[in-house]
Amino acid sequence: MDGGGIGGLKVTAMIAKSDVVTAYGWGLDALWNGLMSRRSPIHASKRFAERGFVSDQMADVPDLHIAPGESRAAALLRPLLTKLAGKLDPRTPLILATTVGEIEYVEQAVLNADPSLAQQAGPQTLLRRVKELLGLRGEAMVVSSACASSAAALTRAASMLRHDEAEQVLVVTCDSVSEFVYSGFSALLSLCDTPARPFDAQRCGLTLGEAAAWALVTSDKTPLASGAGTAILGWSNTTDAIHMTAPHRDATGLSRAVSRARIMAGCTPGEIAFVAAHGTATIYSDAMELVAFRRALGTPRPIFSVKGAVGHTLAAAGMVQILVAGRALREGVIPPTVGLETPDGSAIGWAHGDPVSIAGARRALSTNSGFGGVNTAIILGRGVA
Amino acid sequence: MIRACAWCSPDSCGVITPKSRFSQFRSPGRVSSEELTELIGRPIKYASRMTFECRACLYAAGLALKTCDWLDGASREIGLVGAGYDGCLLADDRYFHDYVTSGRSLGRGNLFIYTLPSSTLGEVAIALGLTGPGLHIHGERDPLGTLAQQAEQFIADGETDAMLALWSDAVSAVCLAIDRAKDASDKSPSFPSPDMSRAWLDLPVESNPACLARRLALLAGSA
Repeated sequence: MDGGGIGGLKVTAMIAKSDVVTAYGWGLDALWNGLMSRRSPIHASKRFAERGFVSDQMADVPDLHIAPGESRAAALLRPLLTKLAGKLDPRTPLILATTVGEIEYVEQAVLNADPSLAQQAGPQTLLRRVKELLGLRGEAMVVSSACASSAAALTRAASMLRHDEAEQVLVVTCDSVSEFVYSGFSALLSLCDTPARPFDAQRCGLTLGEAAAWALVTSDKTPLASGAGTAILGWSNTTDAIHMTAPHRDATGLSRAVSRARIMAGCTPGEIAFVAAHGTATIYSDAMELVAFRRALGTPRPIFSVKGAVGHTLAAAGMVQILVAGRALREGVIPPTVGLETPDGSAIGWAHGDPVSIAGARRALSTNSGFGGVNTAIILGRGVA
Repeated sequence: MIRACAWCSPDSCGVITPKSRFSQFRSPGRVSSEELTELIGRPIKYASRMTFECRACLYAAGLALKTCDWLDGASREIGLVGAGYDGCLLADDRYFHDYVTSGRSLGRGNLFIYTLPSSTLGEVAIALGLTGPGLHIHGERDPLGTLAQQAEQFIADGETDAMLALWSDAVSAVCLAIDRAKDASDKSPSFPSPDMSRAWLDLPVESNPACLARRLALLAGSA
């Protein structure tokens, strides 16, 4: 591996426009203000009350209108994308990032003994729905890399721009809270029976959440890329190749990704002002991340996780935290890690339960990891680098 | 540069390189643990719990790596991109059916972990020590072409030295081995050769990995 970056390529990818829905409601303002309020929308839900799972906590989108026959994922996407329909060049390439797509169709296929329903659950079906809703006719693909999916999709969009394959790429992501996924994480004993507490000494597991979001990634050479956007300056995707669900305890894969992303971005560890961490609140994943940050960045700097507030939104997790990180770069402050009360010993000096001023900061790191040992690291910049 | 194209289907396996062709019949059915051990040169942990798709992918990937002399993962960093949902949908159905028939209270974690589109890639990466990028990328119009293009971008971006591109269905897999040219004057053999173009690039849009595997077997057998 020569680690030589991508010399000679002059295009910087920018997140020029975006929208998001989380358990805080619709829009980035709702998400940002919710985080800054330190109020968590995670709650005890009766949706799966009869199932006997290890937890009843979740961060689902309140008052979601689901049309008859519609999947929860599609219901999350529809209002976001309807506002965007007709406003994009129809040739705009589309990347959909999801882990399970419209998994309710698999549930219904099993419960109703109708295998034909399962065919609708494939992410390719949701991809076609999104294309039709937006009136797009260009290249389209699904990217799925477990809980790093939307972050990985943003790296693919940035790569397409740098290789001059497109002038802009739309990245759409969504995953919903379903019985299928909830039962699986319950079986793996990954769920906490109280709201998740990322990087806390008393953390005991994750809370599942749901979210949908889109980001229009453009070249910094286009008029859309205003100074208010968030630049994708460098990135790296790696695999631990150790275990299907457990993180690598010495954080080799993630620290490698962070270092390479930083080298691609052409910045020093000291220039990275803060980290938007994956921060699932599981014991081993949080510990692994802190090992990686210490190894790749050296001295402590502020980190935050949104998962004590909006839960673990699976494929959407990366884009949600990147949109928050972009807002933090513009506001000069990072939000508190909601749910954090007493930082774990290894998180002292890194994670904070209060907002932290980062006035003047120009570079940030965002990291995600997932099943199969995947890791994605992205270096973000304020405005055009 | 595409260095090799390997495949594994329920009735054949083989590999085609710019300089050689190899194909053999297999006993119909899923790839056995013994076949994997013989190919890889060591027992594969958890092979018995892997899905049919996973075993086919692992065999095709192992064959491509062995042909390129890349099986020793320590010698270079290799990533993996893959496409295909049939196996994932079967795994989804298997997990949820088991959960429902077991009382709809407790699922099986060992079935749940195979329900992601990227699960197979994770298992292949673990078995073969592939530490580069690992993503499921399914192009709407040309899945294998999209994989090859994305693999080349990962290499061009400096994310990894080499990539495997795996296109699979529930029981078949086709694997391309891709790396970068050593330098501008590198004239070492690479695809697509004219023969490969006929097998791959002329595929009808509605084709699938099993269809391509049959074409490759015919192509290799005609040598």
